[in-house]
Amino acid sequence: MIPNLGFTRMLLAVIALAAAAPSLAQKTFLDVGKQADITVLVGSTPWYPAFEKAVGLYEQQTGNHIKLDVTPFGNILEKARNAVRSGQSPYGLMTLDTQWTIEFYEGGFLSPLTDIDAAFVMPKEVLAYGDSGYWNAQKRWRTADGGKLMAYTVLGNVQLLYFRGDLLKQAGIAPPATWNDVLAACTKLAKPPATYGFVARGEKGNGIRYDWQSVMLAEGAQVVKNPEAGDYTVTINSPQAKAALDLYIELLKRCGPPNFGSLGQGDVIQLLATGKAPLGDVVTAAFASFEDPNKSAVVGKLETAPLPSGAGGARGAVIGNWNAVVPKNAPDAQKKAALAFSRWFLTYDAQRAFAEAGGIPNRSDVYTSDLAKNPKYRWMPAYLETQQFARQELGYAEGAQVEQILGLRLNQALIGEMSSGKALNSAAAEIEALFRKNGRRTGVLAPLPE
Amino acid sequence: MRNAADVPVTRRVPRPAQDVVARLVNRSFRYWSLLPAVLIFAALTLYPLLNLMRMSVSTIDFAQGATLWTFTPLRNLEALRADDVLRPAVVNTVVFVVVSVAIEMVLGVALAIGVAGLARAKRWVRTVAILPILVPPVAIGSMWKLMYNYDFGIFNQALVAVGAMPVNWLGSTNIALASVIAVDVWHWVPFVFLILFAAVEGIPPDLLEAAHVDGASRGQTLRLVVLPLLRPAIVVAFLFRTILAFKVFDEVFLLTAGGPGTSTELVNLHLYKVFFEQNRLGYGAMLSLAVIAAIVAFLLVSRRAALAVRT
Repeated sequence: MIPNLGFTRMLLAVIALAAAAPSLAQKTFLDVGKQADITVLVGSTPWYPAFEKAVGLYEQQTGNHIKLDVTPFGNILEKARNAVRSGQSPYGLMTLDTQWTIEFYEGGFLSPLTDIDAAFVMPKEVLAYGDSGYWNAQKRWRTADGGKLMAYTVLGNVQLLYFRGDLLKQAGIAPPATWNDVLAACTKLAKPPATYGFVARGEKGNGIRYDWQSVMLAEGAQVVKNPEAGDYTVTINSPQAKAALDLYIELLKRCGPPNFGSLGQGDVIQLLATGKAPLGDVVTAAFASFEDPNKSAVVGKLETAPLPSGAGGARGAVIGNWNAVVPKNAPDAQKKAALAFSRWFLTYDAQRAFAEAGGIPNRSDVYTSDLAKNPKYRWMPAYLETQQFARQELGYAEGAQVEQILGLRLNQALIGEMSSGKALNSAAAEIEALFRKNGRRTGVLAPLPE
Repeated sequence: MRNAADVPVTRRVPRPAQDVVARLVNRSFRYWSLLPAVLIFAALTLYPLLNLMRMSVSTIDFAQGATLWTFTPLRNLEALRADDVLRPAVVNTVVFVVVSVAIEMVLGVALAIGVAGLARAKRWVRTVAILPILVPPVAIGSMWKLMYNYDFGIFNQALVAVGAMPVNWLGSTNIALASVIAVDVWHWVPFVFLILFAAVEGIPPDLLEAAHVDGASRGQTLRLVVLPLLRPAIVVAFLFRTILAFKVFDEVFLLTAGGPGTSTELVNLHLYKVFFEQNRLGYGAMLSLAVIAAIVAFLLVSRRAALAVRT
């Protein structure tokens, strides 16, 4: 029997329902309770605006407060080092480039997430990103196998092949499936100085090291034989690595702009965004800027694909993710607050909101949701496919030094200061000396012809 | 009324020990008063320097959240000897310092004399001329990087507009260092100008008038009167600029990060990479001491040279 409600009661019920509607709409977001205020160290990166929006949403939903210390890329590492080496960290949570995390893991500066709360479990939908959030102290290696959970990925960058679908179609070229296809396509498309055929980073340091390593992996080469098992035999001067370097040099010399030896990420993005390059190898995080009419002349025109395979059919992509970590010397209340935010951030709804704000979500279920069918997120299938073969590189304590050695020698080969064989031999000898000095089990291949 | 003579006189009995102490305190007060300054100096200058020396003979690792120091002086010296990047960095730094400071001195002197000779708008020109030193180096690096951009930079746009070929300003090993030097010259000529302009303005007009009356040409007046009078200011500007040129970092870091290859790698940039990117604190300290030693040696040689010029 339906109770006989008076008009006033009915009206009150409708008002109450209307008032509750927003909270009902948000009921899937995780309630983490009242937490202490925390400060998060974060870089002024292309994905920062999306992260800021996600944090804003967290504050709005939970009433908790997060202060963001937005820092230029070059200063984040020093701020993080100072924070963990001081008496008490000013940060409850820090976002670190994957390459830096080893120093912090190995130095014992971070709290494993399960030490803060033993019940903390990483949702199974969160992508692995080469286990970069786990640290096995015995192996001195980032692996979930026997490793402690030290971090989670806030933003998982991988490189994608960006291409102008319209121009390729006009020229009768299929999207390149191998690096040799890229070379053939870019040779056909290049009409300098109006347009260049292909762009990727050639600048000394992290730029060329990171971009070239995808080609290196696709050609079946590696820097070190088996570091996880403690075998640090240097294999960077293998014939496969030389083939990869020769191909990369050919790509940039034949199809890139004349300043290929100093081409940085900003330049590559600029050349793609202005329509001066129809093909390029850039990180996923750049996609949002190509779709921004204020920054791009090619809105809606750039397509993405996983990076091409090598001559033998192998595929390679290097993960360049940002990990969130909790300093060991942060006050307990802040550690708990950091973990509460992390729990919230790792939920499907938060990750979806992060994606909608221009970020790259870390959960596989966002990539298989209806969002991926929206043309605005047309990079998602390529990204998800890349996760199957993308890997972490230089994941050892000497990684930063190895990067500098490779970054210099590869650049010298690219600009013609030395042959590719000599560059790889020099790099191999220097890396082997470094490992030997640090007491690693190491060796080096026979030198390549120079 | 009592006479002054009636007032009983109370005499202090001299206490020799107290007097000696008082005298000592008075005499040594000038030294004691310096103590706070000495302590601050020790805390802010000597301690970091001593710590740097200690670091330079150590290997510093981090484990379990703590710092581990190991005494390894030979290891850092060996690293210094075996550092392949250091050699081109030293050569580039010397070229950078010599060329940039030489150009800055010549232009600075010329500009100071030229502006001082202006009959009108002198103050306005002076204000405009010193603007570059007010711009932060980070902004300068970013601004010039845009201007040097191969495809979109103003220089190449201008060259293409007049039918010339664009130049690979920062990407060519032959030109990159010169491009960096040009930015440094643009940035620091105003500094030399400012010091020398004050010196030119301080030259008594009677001297210039006397030279004119004696029949000296403008060139002779410049060579025999003005430049000798400017010598102390020139030496000061030269020393300042040389030390600052040795320490250049921001502009090069932003423009080229030392590349392509090692063509613009400078000692300070390399030092930054060793210290902050590679996290090799011990070797970084050893490298810092080598740089400090080089600058001190330069200062000593310059002092001798300046004395020789003066006599």
